[in-house]
Amino acid sequence: MAEVKFVNVIKEFEDEKKGKVRAVNNANFVVKDKEFLVFVGPSGCGKTTSLRMIAGLERQSSGDIFIGNRLVNKVHPKDRDIAMVFQDYALYPHMTIKENLAFGLKNLKTPKAEIEAKIKEAAAILSIENLLDRKPRELSGGQKQRIAVGRAIVRNPSVFLFDEPLSNLDAKLRVQMRVELSELHKRLGATVIYVTHDQVEAMTLGQRIVVMNGGEIQQIASPEELYENPNNMFVAGFIGSPPMNFIKARLDGNQLMTADYTLTVPVGLLDKYKAYQKEEVVLGIRPEDIISLNLLNHQPNHNVIEPTLKVVEHLGAELLFYFNIGEDQVTGRVGADAKLKSLSKVKLYINMEKMHLFDPNTQERI
Amino acid sequence: MAATVSETSKKWSWVNFKQFMKDYGWCYAFIALPFLLFLVFTVYPLITAFIMSFQEYGILESKFIGFENYKYLLENEIFWKSMKNTVIYTVGTVPVNILITFFLALMIFPINKRSQTFFKASFYLPAVTSGITMSLIWLWMFDPTESGLMNIVLGWFGFDQQMWLASSDSALFSIMLMTYIGGHGSGVILYLAAMGGIPKSLYEAADIDAASWWSKLKNITWPLLKPTTLYMLITGVIGSFQVFEATYVMTQGGPNFATTTIAYLIYQHAFQYYQFGLASAEAFILGFVIIIISVLQFKYMSSDVEY
Amino acid sequence: MELKSVTDPQYQILLDEKKDFRRKTYKKIGLTIIYIFLVLWAVFTFVPLLWMLSSSFKDSSAITAVPPELLPKKPTLDAYKRIFEVGGMARWFLNSTIVASISTIINVFFASLAGYAFSKLKFPGRNTIFWVLLSSMMIPGQVTLIPLYILVVNTLQLENTYFGLIVPGMVSVGSIFLMKQFMSSLPSSLIDAGRIDACSEFGIFRKIILPMAKPGLAVLGIFTFVGHWNNFFWPFLITNTNSMRTLQVGLTSFRFENLQDYGAMMAGAVCSAVPMIIVFLALQKYFLRGITIGAVKG
Ligand SMILES: Nc1ncnc2c1ncn2[C@@H]1O[C@H](COP(=O)(O)OP(=O)(O)OP(=O)(O)O)[C@@H](O)[C@H]1O
Ligand SMILES: [Mg+2]
Repeated sequence: MAEVKFVNVIKEFEDEKKGKVRAVNNANFVVKDKEFLVFVGPSGCGKTTSLRMIAGLERQSSGDIFIGNRLVNKVHPKDRDIAMVFQDYALYPHMTIKENLAFGLKNLKTPKAEIEAKIKEAAAILSIENLLDRKPRELSGGQKQRIAVGRAIVRNPSVFLFDEPLSNLDAKLRVQMRVELSELHKRLGATVIYVTHDQVEAMTLGQRIVVMNGGEIQQIASPEELYENPNNMFVAGFIGSPPMNFIKARLDGNQLMTADYTLTVPVGLLDKYKAYQKEEVVLGIRPEDIISLNLLNHQPNHNVIEPTLKVVEHLGAELLFYFNIGEDQVTGRVGADAKLKSLSKVKLYINMEKMHLFDPNTQERI
Repeated sequence: MAATVSETSKKWSWVNFKQFMKDYGWCYAFIALPFLLFLVFTVYPLITAFIMSFQEYGILESKFIGFENYKYLLENEIFWKSMKNTVIYTVGTVPVNILITFFLALMIFPINKRSQTFFKASFYLPAVTSGITMSLIWLWMFDPTESGLMNIVLGWFGFDQQMWLASSDSALFSIMLMTYIGGHGSGVILYLAAMGGIPKSLYEAADIDAASWWSKLKNITWPLLKPTTLYMLITGVIGSFQVFEATYVMTQGGPNFATTTIAYLIYQHAFQYYQFGLASAEAFILGFVIIIISVLQFKYMSSDVEY
Repeated sequence: MELKSVTDPQYQILLDEKKDFRRKTYKKIGLTIIYIFLVLWAVFTFVPLLWMLSSSFKDSSAITAVPPELLPKKPTLDAYKRIFEVGGMARWFLNSTIVASISTIINVFFASLAGYAFSKLKFPGRNTIFWVLLSSMMIPGQVTLIPLYILVVNTLQLENTYFGLIVPGMVSVGSIFLMKQFMSSLPSSLIDAGRIDACSEFGIFRKIILPMAKPGLAVLGIFTFVGHWNNFFWPFLITNTNSMRTLQVGLTSFRFENLQDYGAMMAGAVCSAVPMIIVFLALQKYFLRGITIGAVKG
């Protein structure tokens, strides 16, 4: 049983130059038992700080943190039933791998035989048996990564904390480790809290994702939910690559007036937007919902625009193309068989069923 | 919204104190011994010395005499003489030695790594011998008879023998001369480290701009080494204002006060005449001068070199 | 310079090659001059030490012989005998070894502990305390000397004791600064890992930090040892019996008691200098590295 719960948690740092810096502002969330939860957000948004507060390496300025129903505000890291994997692995350079793995258990006065057994088990899980007598500097990045995970496993904690564990690996290894971590989570049946700034990693690993920005939690949801129903423009822009397009517009009846085109809002959605009639709004549309007409087998009679493409990029199976609506740059993504050309005028269909509207002032989704 | 940072925990209470000690107690324990020594052997003496400088100090009884000590010193010829000696010594050694150091570093820089290490070590080696040892050796080398090495060497070139330390005309200069030979090792190492830190691209850009060797030296190397030069200047001045061992061992401040430096005068007043009050006043003047000079140097020399 | 159009390309190539050759020759000549100069300067700086060595093996007549002998014709150990028997070199040497060794051990341990706290731990007042300590380095020693002397000699009655020699210089601010500089280059995540691995705070220092800081400790240890071995003023003030004198103090007092015995003085100088030179030659790389750690930039 290891839920992790934040209640009104605030963390402020004293910065010599800037005075008080609020790294985490009023965070509230619950990580469910055995859940794989990912924190994601741009650099400096407070992910690491949140993780370190769970670990007990950093004391929150106010608010309460619970781990498995126990209030841990003043509990030392060693007593929190957690283990952590660091970005730079933090393997003790002067100890062998075996000593590295045993260090925590020894400090906890675990019997020798038990330490041996646990190391053996972890080594088998991670297939690192042949590395045990080496020193960290004799290992490759991927191997160090495994040892760091191994050090967490031998502690048999109920919560695993990962701080950008894959960011120092090359792209190929990262994909491989991602799969392994996912399997490991299923096998160990522990709660995992994982920090990354890579949204692909977040989407593939997380059962639920916490999106943070500027110390604030923006949204907590499953990957699908985040993608389909982002709470606000930040989440919409952060999740998905290339990001969602934002186009300034005005709502008038079922007409959405952009700078260059008038689009039609599907009838089913109109009810939601009642309050914004005759108001400025921001239209959000994902690149894959801007479709080249020559790929459609029916001819839609509205929501077709005909811009001049500025640039078309070939990514093999896909094309990315760029054009402007008013001052807003718009990105589209279609299959390579659309055969678009730079600087040509093309007919594009905008799938308004997938549209989002945002309030330009609050940036919230309407 | 949530209350700002721990309003309640700021107030003093036994519980809060215990928590504070649990959180930070060991941090303070880690620095406790050095801090305690600092209080006992630096802060306490500093305060006492300050008080003493306004006293006529006696073992049994001291009496306050206001600024008398300072006044006495400022009107005292020997004090000014020692001040002058110290300044001459500083001006005559520090800049010269920095220049020597700089040119040695400049010459070592282009040669290969192994030779570099060899010369760094050779130039540093004399620095591990003590000031006393060096002073004794030079005392012997400066022997005014014909068996002194310096006179032997002068003889080879057909010059007359000199009195060196034994004459008030040449004593101070002799002590300065001693600093010119040896003892540049650590400065050379610092300069070399700094030179290694100057981006190569600057020189390449200069080469393309057809800059001469001299122009690169003047416009790139020297200005970018300014922080190192400043560091050596400040530490050099602080050190040379306190020069003591050489004058004590070689000349005892003589002849005729020609090598009496401030540090030596303080020693004399304090430990030969037991005028503790006067010596304290003198020490404070010395400290004041050193701090002023360091600050001035820092202000006028430091520019915002960033690379 | 602009590139002139050349009528005869063959001639131009010849010209360029000639120029290139000249440049290379200049460079070679320049390097040769540099080497010659550097070697000469190195020899030059060794002259005092060589003269010391040579003089220490001369007997009383050879030392003042006219014409002078650059190398002793009949090397003897007479001078060494005098500095040991008349002076008391054995005892001085022992005292210096004791004082320098103990001071070094204490200094390295406590300075690294404090340096670790100042660089890696966070606690209220950390920076203030550090800056107060550091700025005390600006105060010349003479200022605090007299009360320090009274405190140690009169109040604590530590004249002519090892305690009196060692205690005031037990942990220097300079060492703390050096260690702080060194420790701040160690990765902080290892400390966090240690905490999660249930290590006590002191355990983290002893089991994780100290082993990693070994090169820094070696540098500090060597510098402290040499510094204390060569230290003169404080031991000079607080010892006045020959049996408690350190080497530097003993040599100085010998010089004033035996004004003209240069041979013995040089023998003493050899005893003082040679151990440090051996230490230096053996541990050269630590010395050369240590100098740059200690210097504050700007
Ligand atoms: N020890 C500290 N002292 C002062 N400010 C800090 C400290 N640690 C973090 N901060 C500040 O808190 C904010 C959040 O930092 P945090 O390390 O949690 O970001 P992050 O989301 O992990 O970013 P990254 O992706 O770059 O790792 C930043 O603005 C940072 O500057
Ligand atoms: Mg981070």
